[in-house]
Formats: sequence, structure tokens, C-alpha cells
Amino acid sequence: MNRYALFLGCTTPRYVFQYELSSRWVLEQLGIELIDIDDFACCGFNQIDLNKETGLLLAAMNLAVAEARGLNILTLCTSCAGALAEAAKKLKADPEKREGVNNKLQTVALEYRGSIEVKHISRVLYEDIGVEKIEEAVETDLSGLRAAPHYGCHYLKPEWISAGFDEPDAPQTLHQLISATGAVPISYETSNLCCGGKTFPISRDTTLSLVNRKLNNLKTKKIDCIVLQCPTCYLMYGEMQKQINKRFGEEHEVPVLLYPQLLGLAMGGDPQTDLGLDLNAIPLDGILTRIAKSDQD
Amino acid sequence: MKPDDIPEDMPEDIPENISGDDSEETVQVPNLDPAFKYEVMRNEGAGGLKYCFACGACTASCPIHEIDHGFDPRKLARMVQLGMKDEVLSSPLIWYCSACRNCEQHCPQSVEFFHILNVLKNMAAEKGYAPYAWVVQTRHLMRTGMVFRTDEAWETRRKALSLPPLQLDGEKVRELIELSGLDELIVKKRP
Repeated sequence: MNRYALFLGCTTPRYVFQYELSSRWVLEQLGIELIDIDDFACCGFNQIDLNKETGLLLAAMNLAVAEARGLNILTLCTSCAGALAEAAKKLKADPEKREGVNNKLQTVALEYRGSIEVKHISRVLYEDIGVEKIEEAVETDLSGLRAAPHYGCHYLKPEWISAGFDEPDAPQTLHQLISATGAVPISYETSNLCCGGKTFPISRDTTLSLVNRKLNNLKTKKIDCIVLQCPTCYLMYGEMQKQINKRFGEEHEVPVLLYPQLLGLAMGGDPQTDLGLDLNAIPLDGILTRIAKSDQD
Repeated sequence: MKPDDIPEDMPEDIPENISGDDSEETVQVPNLDPAFKYEVMRNEGAGGLKYCFACGACTASCPIHEIDHGFDPRKLARMVQLGMKDEVLSSPLIWYCSACRNCEQHCPQSVEFFHILNVLKNMAAEKGYAPYAWVVQTRHLMRTGMVFRTDEAWETRRKALSLPPLQLDGEKVRELIELSGLDELIVKKRP
């Protein structure tokens, strides 16, 4: 049985409960044990902007906390995965830097020796469970459901982060994970476009315009939903559609699912209590009706 | 090319100033700092600036640039090379980056613009230019260990959904923030 320390980050436990719910449910069903750790804190992703050293210290603190328990880290957020993995890489490669960091971590009674691996949930699903096992776990027929994958930048870039399991300019793993549920991954021109979430607090207009670009591109693709794997990407594409419609005079109403919600549906999870589908900003009634119908057939 | 070699079908409307002698406007930039680029390049990840020949692959692949032309990685790299320190560090645009990292993914010279920009933002924050949203996040961090405001309604909501309670404790985070001086940095005033 695989065990991981569950790194929730800030955005998921605060704003995207359905991602946490569905991830916990799906991983439990598939035999991945998650350990909740109280001492985790922010990964430091935004703090490096103000002070690189603070960002590295925050990441190192989290790595040290997991290491003390002998656990590798599983994250739900792609940016947490990126920030923690980047820090882990630096601290492993550079003993001098590690010593400097440890001198400071000492004050909070921690030490990082450099042994931790950090994986995003989709990578765990893809590598630890595997597409075949996921296909075997599927109970409900989702075939015909057209899903537009959105990977999230830090799942893929910088290049070394996805080395060995995916390819930044032509990613495939989420496509395959979607296919494993029976749904159909749809290719589209702006699929690698950034959600702009980090820019949102700085310039709302910039980010909403960026999100609108993808939504407009998808208009012509006859999709049933967007499927993504990051809480910030979810907030931008899921929660911002109303604001975008108002601001730019659009009429978007595209359902947005976190990947574990899609997988959970395919595995027969309860849409509300297990997967939190009722919490998604754009109603998923269409998709649910369709599944109920295919169940009767 | 000798004048004799010019083919007969060469168009005649070649502008007279094609040699560039009086066709360009001279831009006056006061206070150039020739040491600025070295100051930047000394930092981890930023040394690649030396190899930037301003091809523009970064800007061409930048999603923010596509929306807001004002944010221009190539131009920013050039401004640093030229020593336009004050203009760069005081510019609100350096905070627009969405950190997608397309620029370094597509740079033919392996320049890591993400890290260069990070150095610039750190220098700007040192001078008091940290954006308000980032300052607020740091304040939350020092209280709770996460970057958002938390309240009772939120805890009740998690409980109602049968999600485990989070034992938020900003104490260790606060200590690390104080050790690295970020607490003093976020109270700095803009010049």
C-alpha cells in the first residue's frame, strides 16, 4: 500500500472543498493511504516573489516535516507541487545551501536531510496506480462525455518537473487519465494556455481576458466539461465565468470538473457526499442526468 | 555590394535614410546604471541573462503579453542589460507575470527569465514596491501559516462537509519569516 503525506496547500482547503473531498475519496478507493499532517503550512510559491530565501525556507520547512515522518508528499495543487519539488531539487543538489537552510530551520526544531519526493495527485494516479487499474475501477459508463483537459502550468514546467512522465509542449497524461474513465479527451488550440491565476490579484482584467480566451476557443468544440487538476485553475475557469460574462458580455456556462470528481463519478461515488459536485459553480445537472440515463440503459 | 551589381529590376523607392544615420530617434534615459546587469546576474538562476540576444521567443510565448503588451519579457531583459534600474524596479508590470514558465521553456539560449524576473521582484520589494496583495498574503501567513483569511464560518463549513479540521498555527512560519527579514520588508514604504 502506498502512503503519502497529504499536502493540502492554501487554496484547496479554503476555497475548493470539492477537490479535497473527491481526492480523498478516490485515493482511498484505489488504496493510496493519505496521512494528514498538522504542521504543514504554505508552500512558499508566492513568497519567493518578495524574498527568495523566505520562499525556500517555507518549502524546506514542509519538506522537513514530511521527512521527519518518513513520508513522501502528495499535493493537490500544481503550484505547490512545483514549489516544493523545486526546493527539494535545490536542497538535494547543493549541500551548502541545505546547511544554510538547516541553520535557520533549527530555530523551529526542524532539519531537512534531502530525501523527500513530491508528487502531484495526477502523477500518483498515473504512476502508482496506472491507467489500466483505473480502467478496471470504472463502474459507470461515461463514454461519449466530451472533456477538455487543462493541465495547469506547474504540472509540466519547468521541463525537469515532468521529465520521464509527460511532455510540456504536448502533454498526454491527463488525456489518458480522462480516457481511462471512458470520457473522451478533446484537443483544442489553447489547451496549454495558462489560467493566469497568479496575476489575478495584480490585474483582474488581464486574468479574466486570458480565461475568456480559452472559454471562447472551447465554444466551437462541443464539449461537455473542462477537466483540470489544480485549485487555482478551477477558481479561474469555474468560479470566474459569471464575472467574465458580465464584464465581456459573454454567455459562458461550461461545467468545470476537477479530475478526481470525474474519476469519482466513473467509479460510482456519490456525487454530493463523496465528490462535492453540488459545490461546483457551474451546475453539473446535464452531466449527472446523462450518467443516470446511461445507468438505466 | 558595388553599385554596378545592383540588378536593374531593383525597386527604386528605397528610402534615402536606409543606412540609419538620421532615421532613428535618440532616446534619452537618465541615470543608466551599467553595473545593474551584473548585480542581477550574480543571483542564482539569473546568470543566463548574459546569453540573451533579444530574439523574443519569450515574449512570443508569453500569455500575459498576448493580453497586455506592456508586459514584455524581451524588453525587460533588454532594459536590465542597458542598466535601466529605476525604470525596471519601479514598474508595476514586473508583477504581472503569471509564472507559467513558457519563456524559459522556449528560450533557445536557455535563459531562465522566470528566475531573472524573480530577482527583479526581490530587488523591487527591497525598495518598498511589494504589491499590496502580496503584503496581505504575508500578513495572513504570519498569523495562520496559510495565505488566506480564515474564520469560524469556514471552519463550520469544513465540518459540515466532514473534512478534517486544520490545526493552523502560524508560529513556525512567523519565525522563519522574521529570520529571513520578510516581516520588515513588507512594511517598507514606496519611494
